[in-house]
Amino acid sequence: MGRATGEIYQDRSKGKDVRTSNIVSAKAVANAVRTSLGPRGMDKLLQLENGEILISNDGATILSKMKVLHPAAKMLVDLSQSQDIEAGDGTTTVVVLAGALLNACSALLAKGIHPMGIAGSFLRAADKAVEILEDIAIPVELNDRESLLSAVETCLSSKVVAQNSDLLAPIAVDSVLGVVDDIETSTNVDLKDIRLVTQLGGTVDDTELVQGLVITKGATKTAGGPTSKENAKIALIQYCLSAPKTDMDNSVVVSDYAAMDRILREERKYILGQCKAIKKSGANVLLIQKSILRDAYNELSLHFLAKMGILVVTDINRNDIEFICRTLGCQPVAHPDQMKADKLGMADHVSDVLMEGGSTKVVKFTGVQNLGKTMTVLLRGSNEFVLGEAERSLHDAQCVVRCFVKKRFMIAGGGAAETEASLRLHKYSQELTGTDAYCFQAFADALEVIPYTLAENAGMKPIDVVTELRKQHAEGIKGAGINVKKGKVSNMYELNVVQPLMVSTSAIQLATECVSMMMKIDDLVIVAHA
Amino acid sequence: MENAYLSQGVEVDKGENARLSSLIGAMAISDLVKTTLGPKGMDKILQSIDPNDQSISVTNDGATILSKIPLDNAAAKVLVDMAKVQDKEVGDGTTSVAVFCGELLREAETMLMQARIHPQTICAGWRLATKVARETLDSMATNTITDDDLMNIAQTTLSSKLVNAEKEHFAKLCVSAVKRLGGSGNLDHIQIIKLPGGSLRSSYLEEGFLLEKSIGVGQPKRLEKCNILLGNTSMDTDKIKIYGSRVQVDSLNKVAEIEQAEKLKMKRKVDKIIGHGCNVFINRQLIYNYPESLFAQQGIMAIEHADFDGIERLAAVTGGEVASTFENPEKVQLGYCEVLEEVIIGETRVLRFGGCKSGAACTIVLRGSSNHVVDEAERSVHDALCILAATLKHPRRIYGGGCTEVAMAQAIDKAAMETTGKKALAMSAYAKALLQLPMTVADNGGYDAAELITQLRAAHAAGNNSCGLDMDQGIVGNMEELGIMESYKSKLQVVTSASEAAEMLLRVDDIIKSAPRRREEMI
Repeated sequence: MGRATGEIYQDRSKGKDVRTSNIVSAKAVANAVRTSLGPRGMDKLLQLENGEILISNDGATILSKMKVLHPAAKMLVDLSQSQDIEAGDGTTTVVVLAGALLNACSALLAKGIHPMGIAGSFLRAADKAVEILEDIAIPVELNDRESLLSAVETCLSSKVVAQNSDLLAPIAVDSVLGVVDDIETSTNVDLKDIRLVTQLGGTVDDTELVQGLVITKGATKTAGGPTSKENAKIALIQYCLSAPKTDMDNSVVVSDYAAMDRILREERKYILGQCKAIKKSGANVLLIQKSILRDAYNELSLHFLAKMGILVVTDINRNDIEFICRTLGCQPVAHPDQMKADKLGMADHVSDVLMEGGSTKVVKFTGVQNLGKTMTVLLRGSNEFVLGEAERSLHDAQCVVRCFVKKRFMIAGGGAAETEASLRLHKYSQELTGTDAYCFQAFADALEVIPYTLAENAGMKPIDVVTELRKQHAEGIKGAGINVKKGKVSNMYELNVVQPLMVSTSAIQLATECVSMMMKIDDLVIVAHA
Repeated sequence: MENAYLSQGVEVDKGENARLSSLIGAMAISDLVKTTLGPKGMDKILQSIDPNDQSISVTNDGATILSKIPLDNAAAKVLVDMAKVQDKEVGDGTTSVAVFCGELLREAETMLMQARIHPQTICAGWRLATKVARETLDSMATNTITDDDLMNIAQTTLSSKLVNAEKEHFAKLCVSAVKRLGGSGNLDHIQIIKLPGGSLRSSYLEEGFLLEKSIGVGQPKRLEKCNILLGNTSMDTDKIKIYGSRVQVDSLNKVAEIEQAEKLKMKRKVDKIIGHGCNVFINRQLIYNYPESLFAQQGIMAIEHADFDGIERLAAVTGGEVASTFENPEKVQLGYCEVLEEVIIGETRVLRFGGCKSGAACTIVLRGSSNHVVDEAERSVHDALCILAATLKHPRRIYGGGCTEVAMAQAIDKAAMETTGKKALAMSAYAKALLQLPMTVADNGGYDAAELITQLRAAHAAGNNSCGLDMDQGIVGNMEELGIMESYKSKLQVVTSASEAAEMLLRVDDIIKSAPRRREEMI
């Protein structure tokens, strides 16, 4: 059985056109975000359809707001979302990397290599790259606070809130570690256990980690109720403090004036009875769940509660109930009969706080007894843009910590890890034959896009920097990366510029998977419903 | 006017015109999906025509592509329909069936146009050829299958899909999932959950059942030895279903009393539910605050809004019944699972039902770099599961890689030599069309198809009847050694249904198109 005459891809013109157009548009998307990579990366101002404005440095956010039309561009947008879910950070990196890989693909296709061959080789190369990164990674323990802080600071360094990283980094680390079930063994953590509460006014410097709960709604004062309580006993009710209402339609027949008076009296009595029951349970702080079917409270009930010296917070969302209960250690009360002392949560101090520099108020619960495994971060910012970006940045920072919970390894940042992987892949590719060798080389080159872009964004000479990096890595300095502040190449481990292993490995795997999928496409079919 | 007897707007195509229109339509469809065939086949982007719906999907699955393209050609619709049937019957081979049918018609066109053979003669020849093909296929198939064969069949199916690079991993997933089913082949017990994020390799098989819902407030988050009551009942109120029913009272106290009564009624309902001896209650509909707190008091886990799909699967896997009334606890079968707990996958919290009564239950969690990837992975896994289930039902396998096609073509050619009359020409044409399948596979791989197929033919003629295409290296290889195997049932279905459809289309000589129903102008 003889060998067939070589592996030639007879490109049909249609397949070629579709592929070229995919590559071109996906690269355009990657180019749109590449300037935001790194500590010297710039932000984007996005004007949304409704005229609102958003300023962000977060790749996933920028892309999700961009109205991309081309199918391939959409795949890249989706890619950054996936990175956001998996690692939380590196959403720009993953897109820039995919762009570089696609660039490599067009060169390989021009050589006549079959697209499936490229896709297969790239996936193998990605495996190898991940292996290399795992090899150079340094194990981290979750109680090694210093390392975690450095990683978070690296993440924050590219954000607008970089100058506040002294404050935000510890908040990110403490908040995530605070909700980890078991610091030794847990392999995942739910960031939804951490509430980010944003309040306009003040500056980012005023951001604080609250050991307790913050509700973004001031206490109800219309009836002159108290706004602060010591030794609070908190009740959370899900029933309504208003006139009774049945599930069936009802109508109260009023036949004469006396009957009207009587009904008003009855209503008063009824509500008073409900309020007394609450007072009797010992509660002095009352949270009322929002109701859409009927009034959750009315003037009358607020008045009674105020007289009884109960602090009232209204309009609690049903979705928040679980979180509040877990934080305060209370149980929701769904029926007046169930109102008992054992359902209450305790806190040393509950008070209405005016947010400085803003006009809004929040209710803060501090000194909570039996504090559940939840955290609340109160974020402040002088304007909505800063605030929004600070929230996204802090989320990214928390994701970095979560990455360490999932996989307890870190690697050097500043393009060091990518350079090392690229260098070793190059070396490895020389042992290969066939199309693999070409594809591995191209893959290794594509990895260098990260240090290249970092240097470019920092206003350094990218070629000088990348070649210097290669040289130092070849000499065995695995930590050599770009020192953006000084504008030179230095050892990242000494500067504490580190990042979680997972961010890099996930970026490489996801980008490669997406590019492979794009390589496989040869046609665009218009259908009624995709 | 010849067509004066027809109402206005009706169009008639006759004879040559009609036949050509149907042949061309079918060939166009087959050409469209041709490039997706084989391990090096390409994918298509499907983009919606609707400007408001900007979603796209990326797929390699013939049935998916064909079912979505809007068509106006009658013959093309027949092909699409056939692919759908193939999808339903065996789940895989949807592209093959469309391509083979298209190739048959392409051969028919030449015979009609150049050799002037009567369509009925062609059909007769094809029928003979199909018979030979079936016999050959039958003789080549094994009568038993081993576990290795299952793995091989799954891998062969998956090799043409996006998950190609991870085919071994996915084949393992699918095989172990299908084997859990025992002989039942009921794929409902296998649940597929798609969660973007992570890479394809991080997809895994979870024993038990996953439900993307959450547990009520203040209730236990983990339970062992769960007796599960599945319900489909409204928990807000049992309304009287009389239109406009209302109560009239003359004082608010009475309203309060009624409210109290309603609450009490609900409490009784909850008590009855608890009276079933369950420690988990799962309702298809919402469970409101009040019943939820009642359940919490009793330490019972209550899960609301489990959807139709979720509740039915749960019934299947936990062996319970879905109850709507709770008067007769002894008549309601409770479901059972060993452990029920909350787990986090990616960023999503889900409930895991482990150790279900039906051991068949399992969940395949698909991860991937984007929605498009996981969607396509789901289609691929579905195909593989279907083919495995079909194989278990008909435990016979054949070699893939074009091996059987070549063998069938040669057997038909041989029979054609012994046949007299024009039928013999139709039989050779059939054989030629069969060869187009491996041809296309080789072509898609970028290899010299003509060279490879002739080598393969020679190998078969020399008696190496396990030879096929080795698409990794582009040579003729031994399918047994390479482990490239297919299901007998699937291949048989491809051959028979494609020939049936082609025959049907060939026999058409008139196409009568009714006038589209005109909508009355709105005044």
